[in-house]
Amino acid sequence: MTTRLAMQRRRATTVRVWNQFRSSRQGMVGLAVLAVFVLLALTAPLLADVRELNPVFARSQGNPQWAPPSEFGPLGTDYIRRSVWAQFVWGSRVSLFVGLAATVLTIFIGSVVGIISGFVGGRLDAALMRLTEWFLVIPFLPLAIVLASILGRSVWNIIFVIGVTSWPSTARLVRAQVLTVKQRLFVDRARSLGAKGPHIVARHILPNVSGLILANATLAVPISILTETTLSFLGLGDPSSASWGKTLEEAFVNGAMIRNAWWYFLPAGLGILIVVLAFTLIGRTLEEIANPRLSSER
Amino acid sequence: MLTFVFVLIFNFFLFRIVQKDPIGSLFRGRNVPQETIDNLRTAFGLDEPLLTQFFYYVRETFQGNLGISYQSRQPVWDEIVAGIPETVALVGISAVLSALIGTVLGIIAAWRRNTWKDHSITSGTMLFYSMPDFWLGMLLLVAFAVVIPLFPVGGVVDAGSQATGIDRFLDQLHHIFLPALTLTLAYLGEYALIMRSSLLDVMGEDYLIVARAKGLRDRVVRRHHAVPNALLPVVTLTAINFGFVLSGAIAVEAVFSWPGLGKATADAIRGPDLPMLQGLFLLFSAAVIVFNFLADVTYGYLDPRVED
Amino acid sequence: MSEPLLSVRDVSVTYHTSSGPVPAVRAVSFDLERGGSLGLAGESGCGKSTLAGAILRLLPAGTDVDGQVILDGRDVFSLNPGGLRAVRWTAGAIVFQGALHALNPVQTVGDQIAEPMLVHKTARNDKEARARTESLLGRVGLAGNRADSYPHQLSGGQRQRVLIAMALACDPLLLIADEPTTALDLMVQAQVLALLAELKKERDLTLMFITHDLSVLTYACRQLAVMYAGRIVEEGPSWEVFDDPSHPYTRGLAAAFPTIGDMSSRLAPSGLGGDPPTPGNLPEGCPFHPRCPLARAACLPEEPELRKSGDDRSAACILV
Repeated sequence: MTTRLAMQRRRATTVRVWNQFRSSRQGMVGLAVLAVFVLLALTAPLLADVRELNPVFARSQGNPQWAPPSEFGPLGTDYIRRSVWAQFVWGSRVSLFVGLAATVLTIFIGSVVGIISGFVGGRLDAALMRLTEWFLVIPFLPLAIVLASILGRSVWNIIFVIGVTSWPSTARLVRAQVLTVKQRLFVDRARSLGAKGPHIVARHILPNVSGLILANATLAVPISILTETTLSFLGLGDPSSASWGKTLEEAFVNGAMIRNAWWYFLPAGLGILIVVLAFTLIGRTLEEIANPRLSSER
Repeated sequence: MLTFVFVLIFNFFLFRIVQKDPIGSLFRGRNVPQETIDNLRTAFGLDEPLLTQFFYYVRETFQGNLGISYQSRQPVWDEIVAGIPETVALVGISAVLSALIGTVLGIIAAWRRNTWKDHSITSGTMLFYSMPDFWLGMLLLVAFAVVIPLFPVGGVVDAGSQATGIDRFLDQLHHIFLPALTLTLAYLGEYALIMRSSLLDVMGEDYLIVARAKGLRDRVVRRHHAVPNALLPVVTLTAINFGFVLSGAIAVEAVFSWPGLGKATADAIRGPDLPMLQGLFLLFSAAVIVFNFLADVTYGYLDPRVED
Repeated sequence: MSEPLLSVRDVSVTYHTSSGPVPAVRAVSFDLERGGSLGLAGESGCGKSTLAGAILRLLPAGTDVDGQVILDGRDVFSLNPGGLRAVRWTAGAIVFQGALHALNPVQTVGDQIAEPMLVHKTARNDKEARARTESLLGRVGLAGNRADSYPHQLSGGQRQRVLIAMALACDPLLLIADEPTTALDLMVQAQVLALLAELKKERDLTLMFITHDLSVLTYACRQLAVMYAGRIVEEGPSWEVFDDPSHPYTRGLAAAFPTIGDMSSRLAPSGLGGDPPTPGNLPEGCPFHPRCPLARAACLPEEPELRKSGDDRSAACILV
């Protein structure tokens, strides 16, 4: 297969997938919502002054404490006079960034392990699978907590912790797909034509696995985001960054619930909910495209 | 079983990496003569090679000695055991409820595929599944304990309560309601989704057509042929989940100040009370391993196709 | 002459798929006398299994079914749900293909056979049902205690026998056998065929036998109907049709399967090249013309009707 033909095929597949995606209402809704939030995160400096996150600055501005949105717009203030809106807008950056970065790490580790394990087989495969199983058995959250407690509270540590605890399920999926692809004749044919390992991986295995990886990645982002939120809520987040999880933690710890300061804890949670839903919708649509469910035809 | 060994090894070495000086940490901030510290170090065997220390650790663990909590200065084992009943009660109720309700919803959604019932169930469960469970807890708390003070704000019984017997039990029920509701709502999505998926797979099978051909009612076909087959993966999931939900309630327990293992974990994080975290981690892992094993056994018992 | 047990009149079945409507069966008509036997032959996708499913209204919801089916004097398509359930398995029963999929994996074979007996009150209680089940199993050549086995514990041939026993549970008048011998090896095929023939005689069954193997039909059935692209393209007494086909398709089909016991037929060249058309995408005119060795211009533009090609015989070809 010449490279040009392969590239043409790939382009055609991308176009086809995009067209199918476009016709799916749930997919497009998800994509639209996600776009809104990405825009929000990117234009944060335009939407809210970053200095508003600094309690000293907030005090100097004469902000009231615990002010509802009717008093101080658009989302009121918190216990140390900071603008909740600013926290929401700037928090979206951290939450989205950590979610995406952690997912990239997860997918990367998972895919590499899955591909190597499936392709090489034998002892290495058995050993890697043992490792994967072990990780899968360990309860995910406690492990993340333990690691985060030990490593300390920073954004990069959180990303690392999530990546290191989430890769196993990706690895398993990827490995299964690699095994399926391996069974197909053309890999044997390529081998018999003298192709070497890495070449086979790049030319044949990767293209057939990448669709699955993409769908899996999209569904892994929600898990990363929710994990970061939970870890931040429990106090393991980076104290200097203001993710949505952190906002919820501060709200809780400082009694926002007793005061019914709904403007403080509602937006962050809603933000998480909507972003997670958006990714889930996109992911499910991609999954359906990759794997048309026969049962829906019957 | 082998997995548990790995867990032990992992636990030990991980914490040793951090706890450069366990004895020092124990007496943080207190003025203790160096000699005492040195004696203790010898007593604890900390001047011995790492491998020997590991053997001590394993032996101690199996004897129930998990160390001393930094925060409470009580044995970790005692602290953990104190929290077990509360967590098991909360998690147990929630797991059972979410499994039952989720499964039924999944059956309805699959049998009435693509109708409004299916769509509302699928969307609804997806909604609850996409929110942080503790945030849902916060919302419920504010709505039903603050705005409309129907339920208590936290704890397992009213503070300072001297009630016993039935009264105490009712008080506990009153307190467990909101956290249990939170966990149930958060987890039933998974069951609904899996059951729906599983049932849809089964619905494509020929033996259902055969069942209809025999003149059976729709209801009977569903109950006696479709659901039993679809239930198998769900049962496995339920058993496995019991193990995981134990540790999944950490944040929710924190929100409702529910004095169980979850809250203990949340509190230990703020220390960081490393011996507590170590002990809790061990327990959580053990729970998952045990329930995974039970899940395998149960499945083998239920599915006639699995050879003994 | 008495009424035919089964009367199929102008039955058409159209599936609705994501790629549009698919006409699987197109205006099929035939009669089946009591005690008679009809073989329905054709390649996969010709609509024969769909037709069988249509007779007892077993097709998925949302499928368009037109026409009329009279079974034992009752108009099947206009029965209410209760009436339909009563007719199923008692007036007509189906022996499905014996793959593992036709049996419920988590129920014993005995329970599955006994189930319709209890529903239709053919047996008054569990004990009677059990007794009848064991006797049925014995009649099909299996040990009575096999009732306690699960489907996966039986071989393919044994499962097929179970399906036959199950179909007979309520003493049906009509027995439809849908590919009962496919996927079985030759020895077992012969045994199953022999069993069906015996049972037919014993219980005075009316048999409808569906398969793609023409030679099997000639052995088991008196009448033969060949289907192609959703329609009957030839019908008549089975040996005559097999021996001297009127329709080019039948000729090809007959050549494709060697006759059991006739060694010379094994050496004859296979008569059919190419693939059957997809139901949603039929060729113009005679649907067989792209593969037909005798095709000519007159085969287009219209699809030929069934024309008489002998006593009790007809074929849908302009050459008749």
